[in-house]
Amino acid sequence: MDAGHTISLAAVGSHLLVGLSRAMILFIVSAGLSFVLGVLRVPNLAHGSLYMLGAFAAHSIAALAGGGALGFWLSLILAPAAVALVSLAAERALFCRLYEREHLMLLLFTFALMLILGDLVKALWGADYRSLMPPDFLKDSVQVFQSPIPRYNIFLLLAGPLVAVGLWLFTTRTRIGKIARAAAVDREMVGAVGINVSWVFAFAFVLGCVLAGLGGALMAPAVSITLGMDHDIIMEAFLIVTIGGLGNLWGALVGALIFGITQSFGVLFWPQFAIVFPYAAVVIVLTLRPRGLLKSVW
Amino acid sequence: MSLYRFFNISLRAVAVLGLLCAAAAFVLPAGAEARNIKVGIIDCYSGPPAVYANDALNGFKLALEEINKTGVLGKKIEFTTRDDKFKVDIAMNMAKELVMREDVDVLVGTINSAASLAISESIAKKEKVPFIAWIAKSERITGEKGHRYVFSSGENSAMAGKAGGVALSRKPYLKYWIAGDDYEYGHAIADAAWRNLKKLKPEVTAIGNSWWKPGEPDLVPYFTAILSARPDAVIFATGGASMTNVMKTIKSTGMAQKVPIWIHTATDHAVLKPLAAEAPEGVMGTMDYHFYYPDTAANRKFAKDFEAAYGNPPGFPAFHGFITARFIADAFKKAGAVDKEKFIDALGGLVVDSPVGPVEMRACDHQAVLPIFLGVTKKSPTDNFVISSDTITLSGPEVMPTCEEIAEERKK
Amino acid sequence: MLKNLIQPRALAAAAVVGLALLALPLAVPRFYVYMFSLIFVNALLAMSLNFVVGHGGLYQFHHGVFYGIGAYTVTLMLTKTALPAWVGFAAAPLAAALAGLLIGVFCVRLSKLYFGMLQISLGSLIWAVAFRWYSLTGGDDGIHDIPIPQFLSAPRPVYYFILVMLGLSLAVLYLILKSPFGSTLRAIRDNPERCEALGIHVRRHQLIAIGIATFFAGVAGVMFVVVESSVFPGLLFWVLSLEIFIMCLLGGWFTFAGPMLGAAIIVSLKTFVGVYTEYWTTIMGIILILLIFFLPEGVMGFLLEKFSDRSDRG
Repeated sequence: MDAGHTISLAAVGSHLLVGLSRAMILFIVSAGLSFVLGVLRVPNLAHGSLYMLGAFAAHSIAALAGGGALGFWLSLILAPAAVALVSLAAERALFCRLYEREHLMLLLFTFALMLILGDLVKALWGADYRSLMPPDFLKDSVQVFQSPIPRYNIFLLLAGPLVAVGLWLFTTRTRIGKIARAAAVDREMVGAVGINVSWVFAFAFVLGCVLAGLGGALMAPAVSITLGMDHDIIMEAFLIVTIGGLGNLWGALVGALIFGITQSFGVLFWPQFAIVFPYAAVVIVLTLRPRGLLKSVW
Repeated sequence: MSLYRFFNISLRAVAVLGLLCAAAAFVLPAGAEARNIKVGIIDCYSGPPAVYANDALNGFKLALEEINKTGVLGKKIEFTTRDDKFKVDIAMNMAKELVMREDVDVLVGTINSAASLAISESIAKKEKVPFIAWIAKSERITGEKGHRYVFSSGENSAMAGKAGGVALSRKPYLKYWIAGDDYEYGHAIADAAWRNLKKLKPEVTAIGNSWWKPGEPDLVPYFTAILSARPDAVIFATGGASMTNVMKTIKSTGMAQKVPIWIHTATDHAVLKPLAAEAPEGVMGTMDYHFYYPDTAANRKFAKDFEAAYGNPPGFPAFHGFITARFIADAFKKAGAVDKEKFIDALGGLVVDSPVGPVEMRACDHQAVLPIFLGVTKKSPTDNFVISSDTITLSGPEVMPTCEEIAEERKK
Repeated sequence: MLKNLIQPRALAAAAVVGLALLALPLAVPRFYVYMFSLIFVNALLAMSLNFVVGHGGLYQFHHGVFYGIGAYTVTLMLTKTALPAWVGFAAAPLAAALAGLLIGVFCVRLSKLYFGMLQISLGSLIWAVAFRWYSLTGGDDGIHDIPIPQFLSAPRPVYYFILVMLGLSLAVLYLILKSPFGSTLRAIRDNPERCEALGIHVRRHQLIAIGIATFFAGVAGVMFVVVESSVFPGLLFWVLSLEIFIMCLLGGWFTFAGPMLGAAIIVSLKTFVGVYTEYWTTIMGIILILLIFFLPEGVMGFLLEKFSDRSDRG
């Protein structure tokens, strides 16, 4: 079967836009993963499960609030809050007791958490897939570069940088943010200065999970909400964090951009094998710079 | 003794006990009661496909209620289920457990085509146990990889593809774009549809195709590329949760108003229900069961009983589950004994009564002869969801490959 | 710790277990013979992983890739070529080891977590290829009803064949671990900088260890095909790799035989709990958490601690 269509500048433009909006969600989720990785030095395998939890919670909250714009905004606030509660509970009850142990134990704990959360979502919400519609003012599409771009994608394009800037301000301007960054680099020093490192870790973990939940809540109106979302996103987030530089938030942004845009352009230039493009990009980056593109935190 | 130490010691003891229990479970035999007819069901009860698996099981149970009132050969039909979590290794493990330990008379399952093929080829054939595939749509199950011990009570991609090909050949479109989920089901449907369309209307051309990861959440870049190529019509090969994403993206990009689209199972209620009134209208779809069409007394009764028992209307898996139960019961009755070989001989060519009329289990390939309904999505006038409208029926023989074609396939 | 196993008590225990396993098929129904075969496959897989993790200290997060490569290689040779079966059986572990070395060369430049994450990335790429390359690998359908040699068509001969392969593999692994190479490997695990300073080629040793471990993962892959006659991309999926990790942890990764015990427990529980509930993953998660908190040395470690003298853990 031949692929006989010309690639116009307009098509490139529209694909770029779409790739960027996808990258924004990937960034929000990966930033959370990267943050936890940086401060706690452990890859949180349950990160995808919290993303899924955020999406399901967003659906239920929006439904309870009667749908529409109110439901939408409420879900964006309350779903991450719910995820924060769950992650705080897990962290304070169990996770924090493992900080003194080997890294591998922490990693395996997050794996156990992933298994349990996956079943928990199934138990609470059942197996049906759900769908959440964006509020009326974000429905349908606008013509950009002669192609219809869904309004919701434009919204994501704005939301992403907002979160990025918010995160940056938070970690560089607020006291707790600065302490967290310091703990990522040298936790003993932070402890020596008299700060309770355990609470810093709790904060970092919860913040990372909230970002995952926010990603899920933001993504919910654009996709079907199903069990198994956790497995899909965790692998992509992992790869992004690896190529960006472990623990580096800007690295997560760069990684997400590479991922999102290579995938979008892959669809434009070689639709049959579009999926290979992001993976190929990952392999290339890791071959040239095995520690990631930007400096890792440790 | 501190609380921690107490927990520490007792949990260690529990761990060792657990080890002993695992060993004991090993040695204890499965319950040996008075022997009813045992059906072993393997399906995916976790994850996105679970909604279909539950539907099939419910249809099966509904039929069994009726059947067990009179019984079969003086016995009841009982069943036991195993969750394969959409994983082939678990499916195989559970199938062997059902056959070797539970000693079931018939195996039934699963929505996962790969698992169905694995159970069919590596287990049913070797252990000589009949296996009825009831949701998986791979045409290879009764086609290329079919054999004496496997049956299918659901429609498959060959039938769906032929229905799509027939439907589209009646339209004036010439330039097609083909897109779908990048896995066996997607490719199978697309190939079958294209094959049949090209045969019926040789002037059609495929100007391009795109394949995305199944479950891919962001389809907008793909749709943008498709729209900019300006095809006359688009064939989407997708299913399940991925299909919901496709429908959502069709709606958000307004594609259905710009270019005609055909998707097998576009009119599937499980897909349209979560979208409620927001599902796109104007999409052509094919299905082998609707609870609202044909509007016969039998279908209405089935839908009513199902909804009363399970809280929602039956989908196509429920329909397959229902007729599977009837096939099993009637085949054993005809065989006259709970004997696997006699059961298989009896099942080939058997006709059962179903909500949409009599359904035959074709003898040459062990495939159920099911009609396909072609319709266009449209908002329901009475309910808050979208349904199939202007529905026409393509009968089983119109859409199935012939016995000769199947024989050719199996020779490969 | 290895000294424990050549004490007369341990040798006697091993002999008793060995005899019991040999006699097993005569005493239990077919299904259990099949289950034991499956346990042996996973036991070898876990042992091969533990070679690099427990004894080598490497974060081998995607060991399943090599298991899958072994399984697919033997399958392709049996289904697509007319070569005799033993050629496929021999080629599979070699292919797995080759892949292990290739990926290892990339990963071993990095330490700890990076090693693991890079391995997951590259491994996922291989999974994606197997999943999509339909004409070669059968794609997500997998390949089934694989023509295994006639003499291996019933559960009993399969069982003995697997048992023999397991025994031979274990013997080789044991000898390697007891050899000077094994001691060096453990030294590298405990203090790589010191070894480097002493002039030991750390990377080269690690690569050799990876090669050995992945070779045996390939053997386990062949064994899987013999037992199930099927392959599918799920064998290459990262979740399975983590399950093998859990087997090592559960059994006790600082012991020699621990991973085998872990494999036995996980496989049995998975099947028998799976018969009764669909929430097996939750139970596995809870078991894992209990392990992490209360039995970090694993069941074998716990048992050894209880029943033998407190010898040093190498």
